[in-house]
Amino acid sequence: MRFDSWPWKPRVDDEVDDELTFHLEMRTRELVERGMNAAAARREAERRMGNIDRVRAACRALGEGRDRHMRRVQYLSEFVQDLGFAWRQLRRNPGFALVAVLTLALGIGGSTAIFSAVYAVVMRPLPLRDPARLMVVGETVRDMPAMAGSVSAGNYVDVVAGTTTFEGIAAEQFSNVNLAEGGAPERIVGGRVTANFFDVMGAHPIAGRVFRADEDRPGHEQEVMLSHRLWVRRFGESASIVGSQLRMNGTPYIVVGVMPSSFDLTTDTEDLWVPIAFTDERKAQHDEHYLTVYGRLKAGVSRQQARAELETVAARLRRDVPKDDLEVGFLLIPFTDQLVGDYRTRLLVLLGAVGVVLLIACGNVANLLLARGAARGREIAIRTALGAGQWRIVRQFLTESMVLALCATGVGLLLARTMLAAVVSWNPENIPRLEAARIDPVALAFAIAMAIASSVLFGLAPALRLSKPDVHTGLRDGARGATGGGFRDRLRAGLIVGEVALSLSLLFGAGLLIRSAMALQHVNPGFNPGGVLTARIALPAASYAEPDRVVAAFQRVADAAREIPGVTEAAVTSNTPMAPGGGSNGLIPEGRPLDLKSVIQSRLRMITPDFFRAMQIPIVRGRGFTDQDRRGAPKVMIVSAAFAAEAYHGQDPIGKRVVCCESGPNGTPDWKIVIGVAGDVRTDGPSAAPAPEFYLPIAQAPPAAWEWVQRSMYIVVRTGGSPAALTQSLRSAVARIDPDLPVFDVRMMDERLADALATERFNTLLLTILGVVGLLLAASGIYGVIAYFVSQRTQEIGVRMALGATPGSVVRLILSQSLRPVAVGAAIGVVAALAASRVLTAQLFGVSRTDPLTIAAVVAVLVAVALIASVVPARRAASIEPTRALQAD
Amino acid sequence: MADTTAELLHGTLVALILKTLAGGRRHGYAIARAIEDATDGVVEVEDGSLYPALYRMERSGWIEAEWGVSDLGRKAKLYRLTPRGRRQLTAETAEWARFAAAISHVLLPAS
Repeated sequence: MRFDSWPWKPRVDDEVDDELTFHLEMRTRELVERGMNAAAARREAERRMGNIDRVRAACRALGEGRDRHMRRVQYLSEFVQDLGFAWRQLRRNPGFALVAVLTLALGIGGSTAIFSAVYAVVMRPLPLRDPARLMVVGETVRDMPAMAGSVSAGNYVDVVAGTTTFEGIAAEQFSNVNLAEGGAPERIVGGRVTANFFDVMGAHPIAGRVFRADEDRPGHEQEVMLSHRLWVRRFGESASIVGSQLRMNGTPYIVVGVMPSSFDLTTDTEDLWVPIAFTDERKAQHDEHYLTVYGRLKAGVSRQQARAELETVAARLRRDVPKDDLEVGFLLIPFTDQLVGDYRTRLLVLLGAVGVVLLIACGNVANLLLARGAARGREIAIRTALGAGQWRIVRQFLTESMVLALCATGVGLLLARTMLAAVVSWNPENIPRLEAARIDPVALAFAIAMAIASSVLFGLAPALRLSKPDVHTGLRDGARGATGGGFRDRLRAGLIVGEVALSLSLLFGAGLLIRSAMALQHVNPGFNPGGVLTARIALPAASYAEPDRVVAAFQRVADAAREIPGVTEAAVTSNTPMAPGGGSNGLIPEGRPLDLKSVIQSRLRMITPDFFRAMQIPIVRGRGFTDQDRRGAPKVMIVSAAFAAEAYHGQDPIGKRVVCCESGPNGTPDWKIVIGVAGDVRTDGPSAAPAPEFYLPIAQAPPAAWEWVQRSMYIVVRTGGSPAALTQSLRSAVARIDPDLPVFDVRMMDERLADALATERFNTLLLTILGVVGLLLAASGIYGVIAYFVSQRTQEIGVRMALGATPGSVVRLILSQSLRPVAVGAAIGVVAALAASRVLTAQLFGVSRTDPLTIAAVVAVLVAVALIASVVPARRAASIEPTRALQAD
Repeated sequence: MADTTAELLHGTLVALILKTLAGGRRHGYAIARAIEDATDGVVEVEDGSLYPALYRMERSGWIEAEWGVSDLGRKAKLYRLTPRGRRQLTAETAEWARFAAAISHVLLPAS
């Protein structure tokens, strides 16, 4: 029995009252019949009922519960009915179902794939204790909080001593080590850390222990912690690894513990850790910045409080150590932000774009539903006649939409898995944590939420429209009677407006990125990457302690590389463009006061003289280095054009003196003479403007500099042939000098340059694909609506043609009308696109985010596509036989 | 008289209501009377617990109610057994038989 088939069903309160009153009356009547007087009978009846208020309350509560239960049961049973009906409807119209499901699957699958990436990279919590409290403390200079710079040991010590808001503060120096145990000699990313590092990070070892508090004192640093990754890769998960000995950089270390795989936070984090020992001398050092500092905030402490405390420390440093810290400040950044970097914005932009594609897909499906609804007028009329209310019919339609959307989700998840696998395996830019992205329960929940949201989005308007009992006849009459211009059907015209506006915004974004990518392709990097092979080597400190030995070894490497058949030029350098490593120094040109305010921070390259020829970096003034620029000869340097411009403002730099890098005897300034100006190099990739740089011959490198670069240098060789073919001969050439030296990071310069552009390429390609998909969906939507209008107006067209209209004028008429909503959509789209392009600002290069040319091109493409989509049905209309058109209906 | 009614065992009321309704639809008072008559007044239904039991059974889907007209021409809520209620009656009857046999076995040992 249907619950709502009780039209006379009273409210529960009345139901209970009536029933109990009736009972008392009947009982009283019974007792009177047995001979009691009326008053006594009434009392006896009430006595047998007990506490009537309590009985009434209990019955009411039970009655409410019963009604709720029955409503739920009924709703469910209707829902199941609707599901079955919806399923049969889809089976009966397989063409419609297929198109709708595929359209939606594209949108839902795409958004789920991108969402999984966003979740893995940005939202998934780090596997560390309370990661929200873990901060990175960086140094800033001159109130420029752009980047968290490395911290000097002296400043680290003062920060630890001067703060109370942190549970612990740890420091780490990233440092590569040569590892010989467990396979071929290999260069491994390591970290030299304070003993509290793992506690501050909030991670525990799976084997052994972490460092003890006394293990980061000078002379005690003989322990090593392994990452899970290294333990697996290099030691086969050996259970007996803890306690065994490793030789690194020629020195023995004892393995004390292994970290869990969850502590391999990204694919390129540290593979092992050793304790860092600060000598008292180091602790007083404020001018060498090489530490990454992590702080764990105490529970309940806000970032503002910690910042205020750090500022107090910075103020003291500015006062007490003006020589090195005159303009120092500290920056506090959540560790997660530091790890994820600017991928957050990029990924969210992509998620937004794919969401727009989903919206366009919804528009198309709504249109399909409307078209099919017209054919279901009879069915709806019958259901209405059988007593179904409008809401009941809307529910039926929405259930159908949901079934559609859920089918689409199934297909979409398969699509998402493929897309995600492609994106992850591609991941050219090494987005951190992306490798963990997968279609997991979270992604599944997201996909289902998308399905439900979109089923309402595309299903509600058609459902409301179609469930109105009078709309069908009304619609048909209106359409037939429409002889004037314009579409009467605002809902369908609105769909065109929306789809055009959305796809225009999407295309504009893609267009801006394409133009940026084109601009980047044409940037001159400042050197010629073709035919250049680069590789790194590092000398162990144990066997190459003295600077002279280091210089001699690198000289021999450069000479040996030049002897390789096919090599035309060879050099050794502390840094190549688009590669990690290499530091910067503060330079002061002669004539400026010798204080921190005069410093020009410049990137240092220590090179052998042939470097400029090997890279084909032009010497624009003066001369390059020669073998005569050796130790004992006058100290010389070559500066980049950007440095010359900043330091000398157009004056000739040649012969000018610059102080840098080291102190002369008794702390006097150490002057070097500028002998040449080299062309600017885009060291950080084509999109970053050249910064000041300078070059020193390795023969004159300051002795301390070998510690700065950890005795690690790049070999650069140029060949007329294929650079890749040189890899083996380069390895053997190095092995002949010292067989224990690993040659690593072997890459062609072309590859390094391409990698530097990979981020841009990746984003551009994805957004372009989304733009094209959006455009195609919008085009098919426009086609669908115009075709529908034309079919509705067959008769009117027939009349027009019977009255002498030419096919050409009919086509023009239909086009002019169909392009009206397209024009409105384009206008809205331009405004929306100009507003939305703000999110792309950081990704653009050489093009303004309101670039008029891009707007014009995108509008032209869209209007052209809309025209094509309308011309097909318009021409069909024009080819109608007037007589047949008039006979129709 | 009130003393004898207290012995209506837990769960028996539901079984008695189901049994009563198996004979056709009845309103609440008629159910109480039918039970009293059928047991020759040995069992006197406590009216205060009859109605909550009825509402509970409705929720369980064993009985359903509709508004009809009583013998005396008054509007009354009439209960009737559902197919589920019929199955429940069978189950409760079997359960009672098992229970009664067990108790009899103890109190009235075959001599």
